[in-house]
Amino acid sequence: MGEKTPRIYSVELNGAKDMEQTDKGDDKKYRSLRENCLELGKNHHKEELRKEVDLDDHKLSNKELENKYHTNIITGLSSTQAAELLARDGPNTLSPPKETPEIIKFLKQMVGGFSILLWVGAILCWIAYGIQYSNDKSSSVDNVYLGTVLALVVILTGIFAYYQEAKSTNIIASFSKMSPQQALVIRDSEKKIIPAEKLVVGDIVEIKGGDQIPADIRLLFAQGCKVDNSSLTGESEPQPRSCEFTHNNPLETKNIGFYSTTCLEGTATGMVINTGDRTIIGQIASLASGVGNEKTPIATEIEHFVHIVAGVAVSIGVLFFIIAVSMKYHVLDSIIFLIGIIVANVPEGLLATVTVTLSLTAKRMAKKNCLVKNLEAVETLGSTSIICSDKTGTLTQNRMTVAHLWFDNQIFVADTSEDHSKQTFDQSSGTWASLSKIIALCNRAEFRPGQESVPIMKRVVVGDASETALLKFSEVVLGDVMDIRKRNHKVAEIPFNSTNKFQLSIHETDNTTDKRFLMVMKGAPEKVLEKCSTIMVNGQEQPLDKSTAEAFHTAYMELGGLGERVLGFCHLYLPADKFPETYSFDVDTMNFPMSNLCFVGLLSMIDPPRSTVPDAVTKCRNAGIKVIMVTGDHPITAKAIAKSVGIISANSETVEDIAKRLHIPVEQVNKQDAKAAVVTGMELKDMSVDQLDEVLTSYSEIVFARTSPQQKLIIVEGCQRQDAVVAVTGDGVNDSPALKKADIGIAMGIAGSDAAKNTADMVLLDDNFASIVTGVEEGRLIFDNLKKTIAYTLTKNIAELCPFLIYIIIGIPLPIGTITILFIDLGTDIVPSIALAYEKAESDIMNRKPRHKKKDRLVNKQLALYSYLHIGLMQSLGAFLVYFTVYAQEGFRPSILINLRVEWEQDSVNNLEDSYGQEWTHYQRKYLEWTGYTAYFVGIMVQQIADLIIRKTRRNSIFQQGLFRNKVIWVAIASQIIIALILSYGLGSVTALNFTMLQPQYWFVAVPHAILIWVYDEVRKLFIRLYPGSWWDKNMYY
Amino acid sequence: MRRQLRSRRAPAFPHSYRYRLDDQDEVNQNYLADEEEEAEEEARVMLVPDLEEEEEEEEGEKEEKKEEEEGQGQPTGNTWWWKLQIMNEYLWDPEKRMFLARTGLILVIYFFFYASLAAVITLCVYTLFLNISPYMPTFTEKVKPPGVMIRPFAHSLNFNFNVSEPDTWQHYVISLNGFLQGYNDSLQEEMNVDCPPGQYFIQDANEDEDKKACQFKRSFLKNCSGLDDPTFGYSTGQPCILLKMNRIVGFRPELGDPVKVSCKVQRGDENDIRSINYYPESASFDLRYYPYYGKLTHVNYTSPLVAMHFTDVVKNQAVPVQCQLKGKGIINDVINDRFVGRVIFTLNIET
Repeated sequence: MGEKTPRIYSVELNGAKDMEQTDKGDDKKYRSLRENCLELGKNHHKEELRKEVDLDDHKLSNKELENKYHTNIITGLSSTQAAELLARDGPNTLSPPKETPEIIKFLKQMVGGFSILLWVGAILCWIAYGIQYSNDKSSSVDNVYLGTVLALVVILTGIFAYYQEAKSTNIIASFSKMSPQQALVIRDSEKKIIPAEKLVVGDIVEIKGGDQIPADIRLLFAQGCKVDNSSLTGESEPQPRSCEFTHNNPLETKNIGFYSTTCLEGTATGMVINTGDRTIIGQIASLASGVGNEKTPIATEIEHFVHIVAGVAVSIGVLFFIIAVSMKYHVLDSIIFLIGIIVANVPEGLLATVTVTLSLTAKRMAKKNCLVKNLEAVETLGSTSIICSDKTGTLTQNRMTVAHLWFDNQIFVADTSEDHSKQTFDQSSGTWASLSKIIALCNRAEFRPGQESVPIMKRVVVGDASETALLKFSEVVLGDVMDIRKRNHKVAEIPFNSTNKFQLSIHETDNTTDKRFLMVMKGAPEKVLEKCSTIMVNGQEQPLDKSTAEAFHTAYMELGGLGERVLGFCHLYLPADKFPETYSFDVDTMNFPMSNLCFVGLLSMIDPPRSTVPDAVTKCRNAGIKVIMVTGDHPITAKAIAKSVGIISANSETVEDIAKRLHIPVEQVNKQDAKAAVVTGMELKDMSVDQLDEVLTSYSEIVFARTSPQQKLIIVEGCQRQDAVVAVTGDGVNDSPALKKADIGIAMGIAGSDAAKNTADMVLLDDNFASIVTGVEEGRLIFDNLKKTIAYTLTKNIAELCPFLIYIIIGIPLPIGTITILFIDLGTDIVPSIALAYEKAESDIMNRKPRHKKKDRLVNKQLALYSYLHIGLMQSLGAFLVYFTVYAQEGFRPSILINLRVEWEQDSVNNLEDSYGQEWTHYQRKYLEWTGYTAYFVGIMVQQIADLIIRKTRRNSIFQQGLFRNKVIWVAIASQIIIALILSYGLGSVTALNFTMLQPQYWFVAVPHAILIWVYDEVRKLFIRLYPGSWWDKNMYY
Repeated sequence: MRRQLRSRRAPAFPHSYRYRLDDQDEVNQNYLADEEEEAEEEARVMLVPDLEEEEEEEEGEKEEKKEEEEGQGQPTGNTWWWKLQIMNEYLWDPEKRMFLARTGLILVIYFFFYASLAAVITLCVYTLFLNISPYMPTFTEKVKPPGVMIRPFAHSLNFNFNVSEPDTWQHYVISLNGFLQGYNDSLQEEMNVDCPPGQYFIQDANEDEDKKACQFKRSFLKNCSGLDDPTFGYSTGQPCILLKMNRIVGFRPELGDPVKVSCKVQRGDENDIRSINYYPESASFDLRYYPYYGKLTHVNYTSPLVAMHFTDVVKNQAVPVQCQLKGKGIINDVINDRFVGRVIFTLNIET
């Protein structure tokens, strides 16, 4: 990493020492990459790993390479050779991550959740028919029919869920384009352009600035070649490449270029040594898929919920099966009861509604720049308790910007907001005139032509980050910089290099009266100051005395302490007598003075935080989410940014800060006093697991600086050990294991590599941290709303279940049929369940703590009890009232219904007497039974309207929430009523559906009960609000 | 820590790629140490503290769990004593003045909740019955048009019997006899009135007053009354079958057009039944038996019957017979309901 800091004029306060450490650190970084690889892919990736470690091509001479790959550096491979190798090794592409075959995904949908229960129900139906048929050939096909309907329900909901999943994955498919398109290759002594996937080992390829490197190559020749390895190693600085073997580590040595990295400048020729999945990047990509994907919290919750419901269904089913058998029911009948109980208990439509709800939220989030890949991740963000965020690009704008200036012994603040609207510092001083001239002239960066209409800050610039910042700064302040440069013609220039640590240029000035040349220089402040003997104050040159030097140092330290990159500027007007207009400057012999210059000022730059971030961090903090910064940047910069965005709050100190304040050694500081901590990658490496845990638990504000992206994985694991739900942002290829390990991996849409986007669960389209906060809010809202949806759906299960139980125990004609239940679950109740997803939050959800993964369940005891035993029972009573009313008005009073079942259902009894002495044929009774079904159905439907309204809130009164704020609820209510009307009056004549035309008055029988439910729930909420923390609150709030 | 152990188990790296171990780099070297000596040395050093640490961790976890189970507070001494105290508090919490802590309260609350629910439903049902007359059903559409049943009926509509074997038809006779007990002339004369035939027997009293019923004497059935032939013709292969129309409150056949019964072969040769005698001879239900005023007030109502005497049916083969009601307001061709306005049975008389 000797030249790891090409912008040598940049300043690190701990300078050389730090750099040395970084060097070693990097060494380790690569090792830790490998060690992680090892750990992650310990089993099935052993072979590939060995190969990676085997890589020794960088040590070989060109001759040896030629022999090894049977190629020739000048003529390249022959076409036939290449074709053979291509056939042997396969194309040079990354094989897509092993996707579960579509059919498996589909089958999973078919057997997941409640499907198994329903399959069991369907199969029991068919078995029951089989037995019936073997006893009596003319038995009715009702059971086959019911079994088929159940199977159909499973298949349809399965197809639906599968379709939803597929739709959300398809959005992402567009991201997967990773391989470079074309490669310039020498084959048969000719230069050819071939598709990069046709490359084979031994091919000689040529690359130039701007190209993506088409495979892992060993450089044979390079000129000024620099590559961007950031996606591989996380180093944001361009890495120089040459053909010398500089390091044992293949990742470190300069003569290897890696697949999918970009060549920034220069040209190079190289020999392909690895292709496709055998490339380093290919291996990392495949390792990422080896990291077990954590189950999303919502998946766990839904599983928990399915277990509860299935448990209730199966235990009640089996209990009543036993009761039925011991009550001397026929076993076959008991099986039919069992099916009814299962169907009544299983909310068939719920999982589909959950999927819809999640995808609705996903859509909403996509509008706010959070693209969700995995539907379940929608909620994960809501339960997130720790966010491990990148700095560059996520928290910051990812562009160097001038932040401070120092001249005339004064520090001026420059505007660093995204649009740079105005610079407010004092520009009247003569010093500023000189300084601005230096800034404009001593700069090689240029705007790409043709961008006049683009705002200055958005224009594309050719040049490195610092120069770009200076160019844009001067363009904003001075106007057309290109014009200024044209008027002040450049006659000589020394670009920077690592030894000089300065940049210098000599110009003719546009001052027609003054024919002197102007020499301008910028560079590392201390280097620049060395060359100066005077300093400009208020436009006047003054000798550089001790006090001014002192002032310089104070300013320098202060700016450096802010984590900013500081530059010094000086100039000199070359005396006209020694340097006449015709003087020819020679930069090699330096035939011009390099001392006694005039120091003009300092200027510092930083990658400033995005303006929305501090607010977002505060919101996270209020929401109980710990924001941890994980960056590869220097601790000082990291800390400065952390402070400015609020990750380290204004009044909290690190151990080092306390030590400094109290003037005591770091060791003596009571660690409890420090709220914040800045941990470097170096320290992290020396930490044991326990120590890391301690750091993570004892500090509320943590910044990890100088970390390798691999250490992110360790940090993530550490956080997960604290039972936290961890969100991780990342952009590099090597972030992908951490992204995968995290409960929710968030990739950057703009800066992110494709590998990161592929592994992530969510993509931030604008790379903006603030978008995460929106995501958190949506996630929390959806969790609350899912609770409401589930409570709503579970309630009617009791109303569907009770008929069977009462039917079995006291033998009344069946109040509701299995098919009718399916029409509630998959008909009238679907839209309302989805409508609850549109409900607004009851209170500020961003002001409470994230839910505890293991304690705050989606379906808790209170929810189940309240839904089942309170509202559910009330609903059953209401529905039974409708049922009894219908039967009584038709002639069967409740008293006669008891124990009527056997005769009622007997085919041969065609003169069954009712309470009035009338005699009923079997079919007439059957028709009355269906009318009963319809009545009971309508009873449930009417009360579900009340249920829907009360579920709008869990704590607030409906009137506080606003009865009409969520319009979708009313659409849902309308849909409920319309579906019921269609079923009764439209399809009432279709016998198979068991609906009849119900007389209009029966629609209103359950209305008082619906009102009662509403009132009861309002009372419940009132007590919860009145007595928070009381027994009532604890037991009645779900 | 565990990770280190695991990685050491991974196969050694090929020797072509060796790393110098970096002193500062303690954690990482373990992963990369391909020089076996060093790795082994490491393992020896690391293994022991590792195990200890894990044990400690586990113990710590256990303790935590215990604490959670026991709720708030720290068990300083004997855990048993602590548990006992919790039990005590559960039974009687002096601070909160609660008996049986939560369970008790929950039970009480649920009791009151369900009690009031029960009260509500009782109230509802009560008002419901206040509004429903016990004498007349509110609606009778679903029980109309009337269904039909036959006697003797023994869960089957197939009449299989052998004339020469009384055991095969004896139960029909018993069944008919039993059924006709209520139609005995003496009983009918004692209980019911002889009302004029050919017109409705309308009683315009209050609906809660008892209604009189018209006589239907067993003797009306003549040869099928079982009075002359106690075997109802079964012994001679000429079986009697009685047909009864289902009672419906308020049902009135068209005036002057009483409901008639007619039987014929349902499928097959029409000549399989050569003659049927109907009793009463009109083969109809007289209008005087209508309307029916309901079980509560019309206590002794006797359903009129029509007897079919199959005097000449083809023997030794199954003959499907369909008996239909005919008349206004009668429907006898509902596909789904084979007992509305008609009845189908088979006669299989063996000799």
